[in-house]
Amino acid sequence: MKIVIIGASAAGISAAKTIKTSEPDTQIVIISKEDHIHSRCMLHKYLGHERDVKGISFVHENFFAENNITWLKNTTVVDLDTDKKFVRTNDNQAIYFDKLLIATGASYFIPPIPGLREAKNVYGFRDLKDAQLLDSECKTAKNAVVIGAGLVGMDAAVALLERGLKVTVIEMMNGIMGLQLDEKSSQAYQQLFEEHEAEFLLSDKVTSVDLDEAGKGKTIHLTSGKSVCADVIVIAAGVRPSFDFVERSGIATKNAILVGDDLQTNIKGIYAAGDVIGISGIWPNAMKQGKIAAINMLGEKLRYEDRYALKNTTNFYGLTTLSLGNINPKPEENFDVLIREDRNNYQKIVMKSGVIHGVIIQGNINSTGFWQYLIKNKIDVSGMDKDVFDLSYADFYKVDSNSGEYLYAI
Amino acid sequence: MKRIIIDREKCDGCLNCNVACISAHEEGSNFYTVNLGSVDSETRNFIKFDAKTGYTPIFCRHCDEPECVLSCMSGAMEKDLVTGHVKYDESKCAACYMCVMNCPYGVLKPDNKTRTKVIKCDFCEEKPDGPSCVKACPKQAIEVKEISR
Amino acid sequence: MNSNFNCKTCASADQKLETFISNLSQETSHHRMEGQSVKCGFGLQGICCRLCSNGPCRITPNAQKGVCGATADTIVARNFLRAVSAGSGCYIHIVENTARLLKKTAESNGVLKGKQALAKLASLFEIDESDEHICAGKIADMVLADLYKPDNVKMELVEKMAYKPRFDRWTELGILPGGAKSEVFTGVVKTSTNLNSDPVDMYLNCLKLGISTGLYGLTLTNLLNDIMLGEPSIRLASVGLRVIDTDYINIMITGHQHAMFAYLQDRLIEDDVIAKAKAVGAKGFKLVGCTCVGQDLQLRGEHYQKIFNGHAGNNFTSEAILATGAIDAVLSEFNCTLPGIEPICDELKIKQICLDDVSKKANAEMKPFVFEEKENQSNEIIDSIIESYQTRRGKITLNMLPDHGNDDTLTGVSEGSLKSFLGGTWKPLIDLIVSGEIKGIAGIVGCSSLTAGGHDVLTVGLVKELIAKDILVLSAGCSSGGLENVGLMSPSAASLAGPKLRAVCESLGIPPVLNFGPCLAIGRLELVATELAEAIGIDLPQLPLVLSAPQWLEEQALADGAFGLALGLPLHLGLPPFVTGSPVAVQVFTQDMLNLTGGQLIIDDNAQSAANTLNGIIEQKRKELNI
Repeated sequence: MKIVIIGASAAGISAAKTIKTSEPDTQIVIISKEDHIHSRCMLHKYLGHERDVKGISFVHENFFAENNITWLKNTTVVDLDTDKKFVRTNDNQAIYFDKLLIATGASYFIPPIPGLREAKNVYGFRDLKDAQLLDSECKTAKNAVVIGAGLVGMDAAVALLERGLKVTVIEMMNGIMGLQLDEKSSQAYQQLFEEHEAEFLLSDKVTSVDLDEAGKGKTIHLTSGKSVCADVIVIAAGVRPSFDFVERSGIATKNAILVGDDLQTNIKGIYAAGDVIGISGIWPNAMKQGKIAAINMLGEKLRYEDRYALKNTTNFYGLTTLSLGNINPKPEENFDVLIREDRNNYQKIVMKSGVIHGVIIQGNINSTGFWQYLIKNKIDVSGMDKDVFDLSYADFYKVDSNSGEYLYAI
Repeated sequence: MKRIIIDREKCDGCLNCNVACISAHEEGSNFYTVNLGSVDSETRNFIKFDAKTGYTPIFCRHCDEPECVLSCMSGAMEKDLVTGHVKYDESKCAACYMCVMNCPYGVLKPDNKTRTKVIKCDFCEEKPDGPSCVKACPKQAIEVKEISR
Repeated sequence: MNSNFNCKTCASADQKLETFISNLSQETSHHRMEGQSVKCGFGLQGICCRLCSNGPCRITPNAQKGVCGATADTIVARNFLRAVSAGSGCYIHIVENTARLLKKTAESNGVLKGKQALAKLASLFEIDESDEHICAGKIADMVLADLYKPDNVKMELVEKMAYKPRFDRWTELGILPGGAKSEVFTGVVKTSTNLNSDPVDMYLNCLKLGISTGLYGLTLTNLLNDIMLGEPSIRLASVGLRVIDTDYINIMITGHQHAMFAYLQDRLIEDDVIAKAKAVGAKGFKLVGCTCVGQDLQLRGEHYQKIFNGHAGNNFTSEAILATGAIDAVLSEFNCTLPGIEPICDELKIKQICLDDVSKKANAEMKPFVFEEKENQSNEIIDSIIESYQTRRGKITLNMLPDHGNDDTLTGVSEGSLKSFLGGTWKPLIDLIVSGEIKGIAGIVGCSSLTAGGHDVLTVGLVKELIAKDILVLSAGCSSGGLENVGLMSPSAASLAGPKLRAVCESLGIPPVLNFGPCLAIGRLELVATELAEAIGIDLPQLPLVLSAPQWLEEQALADGAFGLALGLPLHLGLPPFVTGSPVAVQVFTQDMLNLTGGQLIIDDNAQSAANTLNGIIEQKRKELNI
């Protein structure tokens, strides 16, 4: 059987690995637009000059050769023919498949703000190519402006600060990483960034960007009336799944490629996984999706169930934070919010009727992996005669007597 | 594959497994010299105590379906298909700690000293006679067994 | 399947013994090593504290202090001082009993066999008394008076006995001991909960205890015993399990208090007692030596050839000795009397009698030695043993090892007998050292243990390395028991020495390892060192002399070690004494001690590298003496 995978990031590579482990004789072709496999979560290490291109790969050097996979790099797919079962590439090749996995990820979105899309020095921070362009700019640029203080924006900010640029971060919400953190934990990071001389303009929006003769965005205007100088601008205002090439193919979409529980699209034999299906856009989930899609392509019928997406770890300037679930509950939701704090740690648990809905642990995140399980599976801990902050896996300890693997005793 | 099988009833919380683990990962160390005087000495296994349930040994299972491997964005966590053990390559790790977040048993942790790596059991694969913790348990609450996958 | 207890016995430097033990059906300490092989890391480092109910506390990376706030340094120091106090207490108990026995012997005009020893002590203590019994009584009184002083009154005999440069240094350091018993008391109190938490103060206290242990518990015990029992004299003796003669009623003795046997050992060879033995089919009685009291009997064996056949082995040979089946009774008065002998005695119907209540064995008859009752007590003991002999012999299968040990171990070496041997002066020895025929002297002392490679393994290994480097070895303690049984104290062992030492030994007809006897004789080594230093005109740390207790076992050894360090000597131990968890302890013992007393602790469990280090130290000292 010949399987074609479009996309060589978390989902695509994970699928390829899974196929090769189960059925090594399967022919696999991976088509991807980059010329180096890289982990998009590590781009800031590249931009900050902590690692080189090889250093941000997440596969072995000889991955494709070792596993007998054909890799068409620097190649994009422009068309998909679901009847004749082939894809057409930008260099006019027709690659036929028995089964297809679409793992084309997402692209960054530039909001339609006057001057922003036109400016020649505006970059996303999604692919290696973006990082390479930014790297170039950083050689001469002095002032960097990052629009969007989400995870990607802060990653970019860290790298730019490392490169010695003056960094200003603009954010609409009144705190950074507002989707992942609460006020207190967010402020802790903001303070660290400010200690490293970043500047934050919160609760503010970009209204327009003035361009110079060369077409570069030089001055950014904000709703507050402030303006900021920029030599280079990073836009980190969100991503949209990338799937233009399926336009005429008949694949069902709705802001993302639609799939069933088995990750198959509406067309039999064509699957999708990763950011392109927009279900839970984080690396671990993309990997799992790739794996399950691959297993299903080989004939099984597994369901993609572990969709829990409200989970994040942050690590900047040595401060680590784990955040899970609903960490900014609204008053009308009537959750119990429990807080435990000391000079090194801030911990918050959001729960109701014994079920934990959200957790933030900032500081020491040792051994905190079990919280996700409790939240995901809605475990009721009210029966435990114990301070909820003292819980650990030991309270649910169970061992499979044959394999020695751990289980959860609930 | 070989896995450390745990008999929770036998554990007395003596922490000799911790001492052995720290010593095994400290260059040229033995029980007389292992540095127990610094928070930078880290053990990959640990014992939790609760008045009701007693001592619970929490050791990396080198799971058949390892969540840490499935969440690693740098390729640092990898399941060795021959030995079955989950290996950690510190040089690749970018300290994103998604593995810490995803280990359902809370086995993993960032390193105390720098928070640039993960403390991960390596099954003492470099050692000729296997996991140091097993040898150091005076109650034989932990032992290495061959498990069919 | 056979009847062996199990096959997993530990190694021994004594191959014959190792084989013998591995084939026994009785369980011994050698069998138990395996089960105890997993050691607690906290215990080994000395960072476990059980002083209060908030504990037991351990120092771990996540808990750097005990609940009370004690750091690793405090915990280790407390544990160590407490151990040294206990060890000192043991030795002080011994010298107290010995002095009391001397006093009673003197008061009852009993036999005093050591006239020279009497004269020597009288002169040292500045007693001018011609009547030997009154003189002996005064000597005993002076010793006891010192022992019973409160801790704030310095003991008077320290200045008389100690080498002056050492005494002056101790005075400067403020470590002159008060009453020895009070000092033990103080050590215990200081180390109790939430009292002293100053590690350096506690280590200085250990040195103080070392001085009282060494001068009283060690040196004086020997000299007081010499007065009552006679001085040691050099002779060749039989050692090992071969000394057990099945034709006799055999009594194994264990402990450190030779004076307690003074009356009995003479009584056992009196005609009426021999007649009793013959009446039950034996030729008579024999005492079989084991542990330090056995070494003492061997040391003075010249005076006791009829009753004493020889020293069978050290503490960890005691179980094997009993397992031969040919021992009819055990008389114990101190350590090492292993609890492990109890089931063996039960099984082989060996009668156990304890003569000092500090060493009561669970299944032993308690018969605390009372001087005034010694005649009656001895008769009761004799009758009781005869009964045991009758009950057991013939019904117990014997398991002898007649070719174990040897017949030509040189023993009876003391500060007196060695000097006599050299012609009444130390000059020949000093000349040999100066010329380099003897590079230096190593005191290899202390216990036998089953760790550091196995039973006597490091001790024997280290001695072989040292003599190969032309270093003369003087041994005292259970280490001697191990060394003699493997033949290193026989003149033929000269062939294992380096060429220069070998030549010396062969010309004098002596082995390269000289047996000073029990661990008490560490005090005799101190006398030798002092006399040598005095003759040359230097202080002890300058002598080309090193001290090692390679397989130190217990608390008394730690007190001995404190003495060695107080004397300013380099002290080698095979394994650390549960102190490595404290950076301060390591610093004080291995570095600072040089500036305090001139002593230094060296830890090394490898015979070769330890010998190299000690050799290096001796060579350095020679250089500094320009020889």
